[in-house]
Amino acid sequence: MNLSVVGANLVVKLMSFYRERTAMFFTIAFPIILIFVFGTIFKDQDNVSFPLCVQDLDQTNSSAQSIKTLVLNGKFKITRVDPAINATQYVRDNKVNLVLVIPKGYERSLLQRVMLSDPNASVIITYIYDPSSSSVSTKMQILNSVFDGINQKMSGKPPFIRSAETSILTKKYRFIEFFIPGIIAMAVMTLSLFGTVNLNTELRQKGVIRKLSTTPITRTDWILSNILYQFILAVISTIAMLLVSYAVFNVSLHINAWLLAFILLDVFAFVGIAMILTRFVKEAQSAAAAANAISFPMMFLSGSFFPIEMMPGFLQTFARILPLYYVNEGLRASMVFEDNMAALKYSAIIGVFAAVVFVLGIIATKWEEGQ
Amino acid sequence: MTKEAELAIEVEKLTKRYGNFLAVNDISFTVRKGEVFALLGPNGAGKTTTVEIIDTIRTSTSGKVTLLGMDVTKKKHDIVPRIGVLPQGFSSFDRITVRETLQYYSRLFGCRNTDVDGLIELVNLKDKSQEQYKNLSGGLKQRLGIAIALVNDPEVVFLDEPTTGLDPRARREVWKVLLGLKKKGKTVFLTTHYMEEAELLADTVSIISKGKIVAMGSPGELIEYNANYLVLTLQSVDEKVFEIVRKMGCEPVLNNHRDVMIRVEHTDDVQKILNTIKEAGASYLGLDARKPNLEEVFLKLTGEALRDGPAGRRVAE
Repeated sequence: MNLSVVGANLVVKLMSFYRERTAMFFTIAFPIILIFVFGTIFKDQDNVSFPLCVQDLDQTNSSAQSIKTLVLNGKFKITRVDPAINATQYVRDNKVNLVLVIPKGYERSLLQRVMLSDPNASVIITYIYDPSSSSVSTKMQILNSVFDGINQKMSGKPPFIRSAETSILTKKYRFIEFFIPGIIAMAVMTLSLFGTVNLNTELRQKGVIRKLSTTPITRTDWILSNILYQFILAVISTIAMLLVSYAVFNVSLHINAWLLAFILLDVFAFVGIAMILTRFVKEAQSAAAAANAISFPMMFLSGSFFPIEMMPGFLQTFARILPLYYVNEGLRASMVFEDNMAALKYSAIIGVFAAVVFVLGIIATKWEEGQ
Repeated sequence: MTKEAELAIEVEKLTKRYGNFLAVNDISFTVRKGEVFALLGPNGAGKTTTVEIIDTIRTSTSGKVTLLGMDVTKKKHDIVPRIGVLPQGFSSFDRITVRETLQYYSRLFGCRNTDVDGLIELVNLKDKSQEQYKNLSGGLKQRLGIAIALVNDPEVVFLDEPTTGLDPRARREVWKVLLGLKKKGKTVFLTTHYMEEAELLADTVSIISKGKIVAMGSPGELIEYNANYLVLTLQSVDEKVFEIVRKMGCEPVLNNHRDVMIRVEHTDDVQKILNTIKEAGASYLGLDARKPNLEEVFLKLTGEALRDGPAGRRVAE
């Protein structure tokens, strides 16, 4: 290995990157755009509230008090529906997914139950809903739990089973804080995989690699300079992502040496995969398609965007064989949970994987032609 | 001086197969130090395969190649710093300037004292030294490629089709640079399918066709030994001339629709043809009798044109 040669390559690549303004913009902007989009979508994830239409046919103090209880629950933004309107038609006409109807005689039945202790006195609250809506069942479940609570209170007996919440974290984290490490892992993977595939296939197609093969540069020099180049880009991109995350979403994450270690391992693993791809896929376009075929399942199934627990069992098993899963988990262990032992475990797994594919990548990289 | 010390390249029984296709078929030749050696042949003749085996880009199927006294398959790492290569279809990093590119390649060779300014001047790129590679024209890119091939002050320079795809003016500019190299006494191994390029630059021309070397010598020798005849061209002939010449047992070729080219074996036959035409009352506006050029020698030896294009087709018709 010749450090001067590695340095010369690194400088040429960085200068090319700096002068290719469009590529530079998208390299840094793409993950930031993702953070903006998903960050905004999930900003209120922890305090989500549903719109709820309520039609009060009773129009009494008691029915009004019930609606107030729903408001105080904090999960609903209430819209009142005129009692004269046909609620079913209202659902159809206004594209709402649920109207809760408080029946006439609500107060009378309530007084019978409370004042006269009549156990047979009851009311039926009707849900008029659109079953094609994905969120309507969640809404109805929350409403049921609110009404269960009211029924329980009216029974006059304390509940037998109570629940208590104890978080494993010392502080309460928001969804965006779990999301950022996943985006960092995904962005570094994309940079390394596509950066290496695009650069190598382009240089090979143009004949630059053929020219380089007539100089004293070795495969190891070339690959090492590529790793360093991708690592520098990954660090720049990560810094940009973190700055935006702190500035816009006011995140609270633990930045330590693990972050650099996982970025480096992420780079090694995916540059290695890219080198193997470049060996077998000759054209730039097919190489990009092959890189897409690898990166897309990785992005969506390894827990970068969504917790893998949301997926069916077989997909969860599949996720655990994806290298990006271990980068995601490792980064979350270090940046969110401050769990050094878990970070060490995940770094060991991704480290072994990176070493294997990197060695295979070196073997796969062909310098001379027409053996 | 021993024979080995005089020779820059020795190729013995070199063969290269790609599956069932025989690209280079058992060829042997030598290149002396300080000479410009041109491998001349049409596309697909095996020129690039041959040069890329010699300059270590490819490996051979069989045979032996010795470059500067070293076996190319065993001593690649010792050979590479001592040679310069302009590969076919050369390209470089788009956004790196001419000067930076030369500095980069100089660092790859570990040369601390490369005269980058001197190289830029040699290839006449002084005005373009701060220009990025992507902004250079085809001819300027090739000249940069030649300069890159010289950054390590190589003992042997390999130039694989250095002027292919260039317009005539750019080609002449590259020739100027190559003549400069010749003047400096560099050993140059050149592949080309331009006859005039080989004729102008080369001390030795080797004609390759279908993977075989069919003739070798100086351009003059090749013409002398392989084309002992004259080419008589009658310009702006009337319609009868073609028939008259054909009836005399010659094989005339119509050129530009109005000129007739006739291969004449003996000088005396020229007068005989002219007299016959005159007696038949046919006319022509001008005539030219000359020795054949390298392209015509190539046609005779291989039966195929050097390159596609009007000139080649005309002669082959």
